[in-house]
Amino acid sequence: MSVLRIENLTRRFGGLVALSGVNLELRENEILGLIGPNGAGKTTLLNVISGIYLPNSGRIIFDGKDVTESPAHIRCRLGIGRTFQIIQPNQNLNVLENVMVGSLFGQGAGLKEARRKAQEICQFLGLSRIERDITRLTVLEIKKMEMAHALATQPKVLLLDEIMTGLNIDEAREVIELVRKIRDQGMTICVIEHMMRIIKELTDRVLVLDRGEVIAEGLYEEVSNDPRVISAYLGEEE
Amino acid sequence: MRNWRYIVYIVVISLAISFPFYAGVHPIHVATTILSLLALALSWDILLRGGQLSLGVSAFFGIGSYTTVLTHLNWEVSPLLSIVLGGLAAGVVALVIGLAVLRLRGLYFAIVTLALTFIFIVIVRNLTDLTGGAIGKLIPSVIFGGDPAMIYWLTLAIAVATIITSEIFQKTRIHFALTSIRNNEIAAKSSGIDIFKYLLFAFVVTAVIQGVVGGVHAQRFAFVSPEESFSLTFTILPLAMCLLGGSFSTLGSVIGAGGLGVLAEYLRLMMPRGHLAIYGLVMVMAILLMPKGIVGTIREQLVRRKTASS
Ligand SMILES: Nc1ncnc2c1ncn2[C@@H]1O[C@H](COP(=O)(O)OP(=O)(O)O)[C@@H](O)[C@H]1O
Ligand SMILES: [Mg+2]
Repeated sequence: MSVLRIENLTRRFGGLVALSGVNLELRENEILGLIGPNGAGKTTLLNVISGIYLPNSGRIIFDGKDVTESPAHIRCRLGIGRTFQIIQPNQNLNVLENVMVGSLFGQGAGLKEARRKAQEICQFLGLSRIERDITRLTVLEIKKMEMAHALATQPKVLLLDEIMTGLNIDEAREVIELVRKIRDQGMTICVIEHMMRIIKELTDRVLVLDRGEVIAEGLYEEVSNDPRVISAYLGEEE
Repeated sequence: MRNWRYIVYIVVISLAISFPFYAGVHPIHVATTILSLLALALSWDILLRGGQLSLGVSAFFGIGSYTTVLTHLNWEVSPLLSIVLGGLAAGVVALVIGLAVLRLRGLYFAIVTLALTFIFIVIVRNLTDLTGGAIGKLIPSVIFGGDPAMIYWLTLAIAVATIITSEIFQKTRIHFALTSIRNNEIAAKSSGIDIFKYLLFAFVVTAVIQGVVGGVHAQRFAFVSPEESFSLTFTILPLAMCLLGGSFSTLGSVIGAGGLGVLAEYLRLMMPRGHLAIYGLVMVMAILLMPKGIVGTIREQLVRRKTASS
């Protein structure tokens, strides 16, 4: 069963074709890896799915509904949650409050309920001392807060944009475990990730983008041996 | 600690309410003016919390003034009701205009809201039959028969209502919405926040406040004219007060309005000639030295001390 289906999606920025006829299907409860060289259009794809940009053509079907034209806040409420490659935590709020924003508006929870849910989620992710100012958080803590914030909107589909970047191996391992735990709660997840090792370990299926086009799709083993993928990655470090 | 806070509130409010009993007519007038500027400063800040810098305070102030005077004159509405109508008119205008201008951001939003003031000046000047054109309109009698204490209390009530509104904005989900929008709109909408709805709400609520303050001003001085009622003073002074006291907080505008208001009056009495220059200088220095305002700077020091000791 597919939770999210993308048909023939194209998005241009001026003369640049960032996404060109992209088709993608997210199956219920899977972890899909989205890979591709820098500038391939991975972040743009997430932005179009979450409603930050509208596509020039193509359709986005989420949970049986056509959301191609829906504004971002509606998509969030329908169940599309995401994190940002360039994180945008709100300095004016503490850790808990940052997470609360997700449940307040993504779920329409009241203040009390939002606080309780945010506490639960922080605990689930092992985020402690949550009444803290966010200025002194470690990278790992900020990434966890971003995930907590997205989870607090109670998504059906979670889109994670390079959450492991900037983490050391132990920290990345911890986050991998968390992403698995999140999936075990019934969520469908799409991760953008540069490190092939992580993709191999974490994902069920991989989709490769290059210059806005899907050049391969399938199990990690199949995709990583595909000559087009290898040539797209030539010159790029692993 | 909590009780201590309430004691301060009660003392301040009692002092404010009883002020006309121990102060002379002139201080009562000055205090009335400061309270109306306080309400304007705070209303300006409320929208700023959502990241939108409006220069349209004078426009809604003027709309409130004119509506108040015209409904009072033409429909023989009571002065108090005419002030309410002034606020409502400003709110309705803000709703209609907001649907268009709240799609703009940053400088564009600021400039367009500034232009509103000039647009309304032109409209009011040209609807001579209704508005009295360039000359404006007089009301035959001042509200409350000109009793300064009554006018003061009315203004105090409006200032307190604005403070309460501001605190409601700070303590509810609106706070989370506005501060998220200010921080990053893309992140905000991805969290499910309907940005347009919250900004429109803040824009309308603050315009109502500005319209009511304008209405009281018109009733207090018993006249409206394009230049006086739409004067940019009502945009710039509140803005300076808020920035000096500290934006994004209720206390900031209260302290800024009190401080600048008292200073302005003191300087005016001390040096009838050069006071505006000194006043401007103080404002520039204060904003240069304390970009976060008085309240923001003190808060920062407290936090620094707390983290240093822990
Ligand atoms: N808002 C934008 N305006 C113009 N060009 C953009 C914008 N966002 C992305 N692009 C361009 O689209 C291409 C794909 O970018 P992106 O999706 O960020 O790649 P990736 O995440 O795969 O590294 C790049 O060439 C980038 O410069
Ligand atoms: Mg990217």
